[in-house]
Amino acid sequence: MRNSFLRILILALVITSLGVLSIYSSTYQKEGAWQDIYKRQMLWAVIGLACFFVMSQLNYRKLWDANYFIYGVALFSLFLVFTLGIIRLGAQRWLKFAWFNFQPSEFAKLAVIIFLARYFSRKSADDISLLSGKFGIFRGIIFPFIFVAVPMFLIIEQPDLGSGLMLLLVFVSLLYLTNVRLKYIFTLLLILILPLPFFWHFLHDYQKQRLLVFLNPNIDPLGAGYTVIQSRIAIGSGGLFGRGWLSGTQSQLYFLPESHTDFIFATFSEQWGFLGSSLLLLMYYFIIRQGFIIAQRTQDSFGRLLAYGISLLLALQVFINIAMNMGLAPVVGLPLPLMSYGGSSMLVTFIALGILVNIDRTRSVF
Amino acid sequence: MERKSILRFLIILMFGILLAGLLNLDLLQWAKFRRLSDSNCIRLIAQSGARGNILDRKGEIIVDNRISYDVLILPQELSQIDRILSGVSRILGTGVKELKAAFKSNYFSSSIPVTVASNIDLNKAILLGEYKLEEPSIIIQPMPLRHYPYGPLAAHVIGYVNEIDRWRLTKLEDYGYKTKDIVGFGGVEEKYDYYLRQEEGGLSVEVNHRGKFMRVLGFEPPRNGKDVQLTLDLKMQKIAEESLSGRKGSVILMDPQSGQVLALANYPNFNPAVFVNKRTRLIAGLFNNPDSPLINRAISSSYPPASVFKVVLASAGLELKKINLYTSFLCRGSTMIGARKFSCWDVHGVQDIVSAIAHSCDVFFYKTGLLVGAQNIHDYALKLGLGKALGFELPYETGGFIPSPLWRKINKFQKWFDGDTANLSIGQGDCLVTPLQAANMMAVFANGGYLPSPYIIKAVGNLDLSAKKRKLSRVAFKKSTFEIIRRGLRAVVSDARGTGNVLSGLGVSVAGKTGTAQVSRGATHAWFIGFFPYENPKYVICVFLENGGPGHAASVIARQIIEAMNKQGLI
Repeated sequence: MRNSFLRILILALVITSLGVLSIYSSTYQKEGAWQDIYKRQMLWAVIGLACFFVMSQLNYRKLWDANYFIYGVALFSLFLVFTLGIIRLGAQRWLKFAWFNFQPSEFAKLAVIIFLARYFSRKSADDISLLSGKFGIFRGIIFPFIFVAVPMFLIIEQPDLGSGLMLLLVFVSLLYLTNVRLKYIFTLLLILILPLPFFWHFLHDYQKQRLLVFLNPNIDPLGAGYTVIQSRIAIGSGGLFGRGWLSGTQSQLYFLPESHTDFIFATFSEQWGFLGSSLLLLMYYFIIRQGFIIAQRTQDSFGRLLAYGISLLLALQVFINIAMNMGLAPVVGLPLPLMSYGGSSMLVTFIALGILVNIDRTRSVF
Repeated sequence: MERKSILRFLIILMFGILLAGLLNLDLLQWAKFRRLSDSNCIRLIAQSGARGNILDRKGEIIVDNRISYDVLILPQELSQIDRILSGVSRILGTGVKELKAAFKSNYFSSSIPVTVASNIDLNKAILLGEYKLEEPSIIIQPMPLRHYPYGPLAAHVIGYVNEIDRWRLTKLEDYGYKTKDIVGFGGVEEKYDYYLRQEEGGLSVEVNHRGKFMRVLGFEPPRNGKDVQLTLDLKMQKIAEESLSGRKGSVILMDPQSGQVLALANYPNFNPAVFVNKRTRLIAGLFNNPDSPLINRAISSSYPPASVFKVVLASAGLELKKINLYTSFLCRGSTMIGARKFSCWDVHGVQDIVSAIAHSCDVFFYKTGLLVGAQNIHDYALKLGLGKALGFELPYETGGFIPSPLWRKINKFQKWFDGDTANLSIGQGDCLVTPLQAANMMAVFANGGYLPSPYIIKAVGNLDLSAKKRKLSRVAFKKSTFEIIRRGLRAVVSDARGTGNVLSGLGVSVAGKTGTAQVSRGATHAWFIGFFPYENPKYVICVFLENGGPGHAASVIARQIIEAMNKQGLI
């Protein structure tokens, strides 16, 4: 038990420090407040660590009870964003607090996972079987989908297509894990995919453009395709050993936009090269693998689903973010967990990891 | 398989995809992306060196470079540009509108200085230098430009410089030539462009995404081109051009002992400076002029040699023992060959070889030619360096042409008649030589039996090439042949009735041969080729006047040249 706690803690800390280094390297030459951005990230990391410790001590079964409350808070904050949210980069994603901005969509991802884990499992910790095997299409798919669709719709409307689709992906993979009949899952996917050409008209212009640019970045090299082109150049120019810390011209001379947030992987990769990047990938993989191991050895169905959900959330975010850095996925606004600058993402990730550790710890108490 | 195992497999697959992506970008395409990254942030600011000078044989400058100044503005703060441009316009006296137009059309990116005015003089450059203290984004860049202190002097030898054309670029791309490079056209500038060419240097600077200057990465000083020293003698070249003054033709002065060309003048000529100053109208005029002033007549055009060719006949006749010193023919003003009457230009009476050369008697040489035969005439002409290119260093040399019965049979399917031999004997018909070939042929009689290969490049950089260029080939004629012909050539001038008598009494003994070439249209071409001093020849001279009248006209110019050279103590 101490093992998984220590492993996850150390891996998360190393990744977070690499993130701080990368943020520093991409902003230290800018003027004014930009230079202090890495300090803020360090502060968030400290707060995140505190949350990690608290959550790792707090029995995760309490989440079962607080489930509706958590879901309600997430939904409420998403509504608040609509009315009070501040607009940045053309999107209304943030709530302003005293000295920081909070991004409820990050929080909502975790809330939805907790909700789904609760929904598909039984109260009794001794009964390990899942309910969902006996569920019909209504209780198995449609009812939970409504609970996912409401926050998803609110997030997509912000607009934040990436986080919205993330919810959908986590939902579908959890459905798959909970032994809901494949027939139902395919029906759901079909219902979602068939009207896609119709939804095309509801996409914002920039979202359409991003999808087109994903198919061919060179159609608009100075506009929508610019970021991907520059990010590929940054990663590729790193080579085997990288250009060295603070020597990455792409990120430090600002050819790469969003070099400290969504495209921090490119910033990192330019400076540390193939060796550094594959090491980073390996660390992410180990955290996720640890999550899967924890899920597998947990007898409690709620805990198991929760652990799977958290690991999947991490895995999907890491994959989509890095793939989009390399031009293998369309550009959607998704942070790289633990690396990208941003307090909400950092906090939620540490909380999620804390829950994961706690599931493993509580298991052994039984 | 269990669903969770499949899911785990999918996760591993996802990381596999990411790793493959990294491999592709970082290892397979690394070089391409590194280059793209560098081209994002590295800018080159070029600085030009100076093209090599062209010097005369004593090291005096014929062509050098003058520093002109270009005004550039570093467009870092676009809001300031209007103010800076109006300041610059006040000093230069040019309109703000023009400067703005130039700025607009030359603007490339904010890190690259924009040329707003070029070719301004030193005074204004100094004034602008003071203004630069207030406006540091002004850059005054010295720019070496070709300068011709003597204007059109030796223009055909030198050539001119201009922006590279498409044809040359396709040939020279592999040697590092780029579009918009200034390269030589014609003359030494073209042939020795590779050596004369300067190497560009400059600053490489790092810029950020807005093109703002970050730091200097390196500096490579520009290198000047190598100087090319010619065998031309500036004083003789001046004399030659002044004497030719306005008459179409060429003058060549050559050292018969080494083959060094000491003067090479053509008219009509051109001023190469018009290409530097981009005087479009004048340049178009040069290309459209029916007299083709850009043609180097001395090597690129060939003409019927006329009586000058009689030297070949005399050599062939004496060498083949068809005639000797005592052979004489009677000139009655004409002679019958077959059914046709071939006339002489005068009635000369009894002529031996020496007097026939002196009086340029056509009848004597018709008869000699018939004795020798057309093929032999052709062969001896080739032995004396006619009929094929001399391998001279300037571009666009033509080889001239000597006809022969064989050539006519193969190419024209026509028989060769005695009348053709008679025509060839007096250098008419299809026979063509360049003025340089004529001079070169005369050098054989001046130096007593060596055919030089004429050259004009003495040294490139510090490397003296004259030792390597000195290539004289022995012309294996009998000593008596040279003696007899030399006597004849001397008699052309010394004989009271000699065709070149105008050249006597100069204080220097001249020998030579005149020629008057019939042309199908217009006045005759005039030739004089000769050497002096007769006893110890130091110079071969060739004066050729295109449609210039009788050979006498060329002799008069030769006299002027020799007189002037004598006066300046050059002989």
